[in-house]
Amino acid sequence: MADLEIKNLHVRTEDREILRGVDLNISRGEIHALMGPNGSGKSTLANTLLGHPSYEVTEGEIFFKGENITESEPHERAKAGLFLAFQYPVAIPGVSVANFLRMAINAKREEPIGVKEFREHLKHAVELLDVDRAFTSRHLNDGFSGGEKKRAEILQMAMLSPDVAILDETDSGLDIDALRTVAEGVQKLHDEQGLGALIITHYQRILHYVKPQFVHILMDGRIVLEGGVELVERLEREGYDQIRQEHGVGV
Amino acid sequence: MSEIAVKPGRHREATLYHALAGEGAGDGRTLEEMRAAALAAFEREDLPVWRRSGFWTTSFADLDLDALQARTHPADVGVPDLVTQTLPDRPRAGRIVQREGTVVQVELDPELTERGVILCSLEDAAHEHPDLFARWYSKRLTIDRHKLEAANAAFWTGGAFLYVPDGLVVDDPFEIVYTIDGPGVAQYGRTLVVGGRMSDFKVHEHDLADDFGEEAVAGSDVDSTPRQSLHAGAFELYLQDGARCRLAQVQDWGTGEVHDCSTRFVCVGRDAYCHWLPALLGGHLVRHHCELSVSEPGGDMAFRGLFFTQGHEQLDVFAVDLHETGPSGGDVHWRGAATGESRASFEGLIKIDPGAQKTHTYLQAHTMVLSPKARLDAIPSVLVSADDVSASHGGTVGELDESSIFYMQSRGLDRAAAVKVIVEGFFEPTIGELADEPLQGLVREKIASKLAAARDDIEAYATAR
Repeated sequence: MADLEIKNLHVRTEDREILRGVDLNISRGEIHALMGPNGSGKSTLANTLLGHPSYEVTEGEIFFKGENITESEPHERAKAGLFLAFQYPVAIPGVSVANFLRMAINAKREEPIGVKEFREHLKHAVELLDVDRAFTSRHLNDGFSGGEKKRAEILQMAMLSPDVAILDETDSGLDIDALRTVAEGVQKLHDEQGLGALIITHYQRILHYVKPQFVHILMDGRIVLEGGVELVERLEREGYDQIRQEHGVGV
Repeated sequence: MSEIAVKPGRHREATLYHALAGEGAGDGRTLEEMRAAALAAFEREDLPVWRRSGFWTTSFADLDLDALQARTHPADVGVPDLVTQTLPDRPRAGRIVQREGTVVQVELDPELTERGVILCSLEDAAHEHPDLFARWYSKRLTIDRHKLEAANAAFWTGGAFLYVPDGLVVDDPFEIVYTIDGPGVAQYGRTLVVGGRMSDFKVHEHDLADDFGEEAVAGSDVDSTPRQSLHAGAFELYLQDGARCRLAQVQDWGTGEVHDCSTRFVCVGRDAYCHWLPALLGGHLVRHHCELSVSEPGGDMAFRGLFFTQGHEQLDVFAVDLHETGPSGGDVHWRGAATGESRASFEGLIKIDPGAQKTHTYLQAHTMVLSPKARLDAIPSVLVSADDVSASHGGTVGELDESSIFYMQSRGLDRAAAVKVIVEGFFEPTIGELADEPLQGLVREKIASKLAAARDDIEAYATAR
C-alpha cells in the first residue's frame, strides 16, 4: 500500500468540475512528476491534497498512511506528514522565517523543540539550500523575490521533514541558478531523508536536476498517460498536442 | 457648550465640533475659578453623545452618574496588587499611582529630584509649584465641551504632575498609573506633563481595573448594586523648544463596565518631537479624544496607535493631527482590530491651520474585523487651510485572509494559531515602535490573551464564510 493513495478523485470549485477521476499512488522515497498543460487541474490536485476549503471533493477518496484524510483539516494532514510547496507562497508580515519554522515544528511535537536542536537543524537546512543565514530573520515571504519565496518553501520542507511533499510549480519564475539550488535541495532531501515527492510542472527543465521515477500526464482533469522518465523526453519532442490527439482529449 | 453650531449630518461641522483646536481654559483664571466654571457646565450639560451620521453613535446616556462615587482612600492604603501583578518589573525614573480618587504612591529617583525633576500629585503641584501650575494647567485643554470633560475639571482629585527641566535627558520611563478597584466608582484622573527646553524623556501611562465582570457582580442584589465605573480623564503634555518625548499609554480596563471618556492633548513646541502611542486594549464604553498639535515651527511628531475590542465593548477614537504653524511634520499610523460583538470606530483628522505652510503629514489607519458580529469603521478626514503643504491619508479595512490561513494550516498550525500569527503580525509594526522590551511584552501578552478569549468568535467567522 502506497503512503499517499488517491482514488478516483473528482473535485469541483464553485463553478465547474476540474478533476474528473484521478488515481495516483506515491510512497516515501519515490519521485513523481506530474505534467500537464495550463488548466489541466494540476494546482487543483495540489490544493485538494492539503484540504483547501475552496475545492470540494465530490467523489473518490484520499488515503495517507492508511487513513482516509479526504475530509481532514489541512493542519491535520500536515501533521500527518504531507507538505505543499506553494506556487504562490503567501507573505506573513510580522513573523520571521525562523520563528515561523519554530511554530510549525512545534505544532507537530508534544514538547517544544530545544533552542540548540532547532539552531542546528536550521543551520543544516540553510546550508543545504544555499541561502544566507540573515534570510531566516526576515519576515516570511514579505518583500521576497520570486526566487526567495521558492527557496523559503524548500527550506520549510527541509525543516518539517514530511513523508510526501507536493511541489506546485516550484520551478516557475526561477532563474537557472535558483532552479538548480531548489531542485538539488529536493533531490538531497530525497536521498538523505527518503522524501517522497510529487513535482508538478509544465516545463521539463526542473527534471534535468531531479530525476523522477514516475511521470504522469494530466489533461482535462484525468491522468491520460503514465510512464518513466522517457515520457519527459517524448513531451519535449512532441508537445502536448500529439498526446491530446492520441488520447482523444478535447482542446 | 462651545459656540459652534452643529448641523447634524454635515461632515465639516461635525468634525469641527469634535476638534479641540486647543482653545484651553487657563486664561489667567485661578484653579478655583476654573473648577466653578466647569461645575456650571457640568450642571448645564447632558451626558455626551457623539454621532457620526450613517456610521456610529457613541452615547454615554446610559451612564448612571448618581450611582457612582468619587471614592478616595487613605494615602497609605498602598498600591493595588493589580499594579504589581500586571506591570513589568523594570527600571524606571519614577512612578505615580492613583488608586480611584487618591494618589497612593509617588516614587522618584532621588538623583532626578536633585536635578530638578518634579513628580507629584497635581493637587500638590497646585500648592507647591504655583507658578508652573498656573502657567501650564489647562493651557490648551478645554473644560466645558461636554458633561464628562466638565466633571473632570470640576471634581478631579489626586492627579499627576511631571516636570522635566531644561536640557535633562532621562533614559528610563516615568510611569503614571490609574487604577480602579471595582464598580460604583467615578475616577477623575488628570495628568499634566511639561518637558523643558531640550529635555528628552519617556512617559508610560497605564490604565488598569480589576476584572469585575459578570462573576464579580453575580450573587449580589443586582438592582441595587452598581455595575458601572467611570474614568473621566484629562491629559496634557507640553514640549518646549527642542524637547523630545516618547509617550506610551496602555489602557485595559478589564471585563467590568468601565466607561472611559478622556481627552488627551499633546503640544509640540519649536523643533520639538513627540512619539505618541496610545494602546487601547479594553473598556466597556470608551471615547478617547487624542489630539496632537504641532504648535510651533520645526515641530515634528509620530503619532501611532493601536486598539483591540472584544465582547460587547464599544470604542470611539478621535485622533487629531493638528498643525498650527509650519514648517512642521506629522506621521499618523493607527491599527485596530475588533472581535466578538464589539464596535470600534476611528476617526482621524488632519487639520492644517492658515499659515501652517510647509507642513508635511500623512495619516493611515489599518483595521481588521475578526468576527461576524463585530463592526469597525475608520474615517480619515483632511481639513487644510494653507496652500503649500502635503497632507494625505490612506488605509485598509481587512478581514482574515483565508489564503494566509490555509498556508499556515498546511504547515501544521491549526486555525486559531494561524489567526493569532496574522493578528500579531498585523499589530507588530506598531508594537515594535514602542521600542521598549518590557512594554512590548506587556502589549503582546494582552493581545494574545484577548485572542485566546475570542477563539470561539474567530472559529464562528470561519463557519460563517
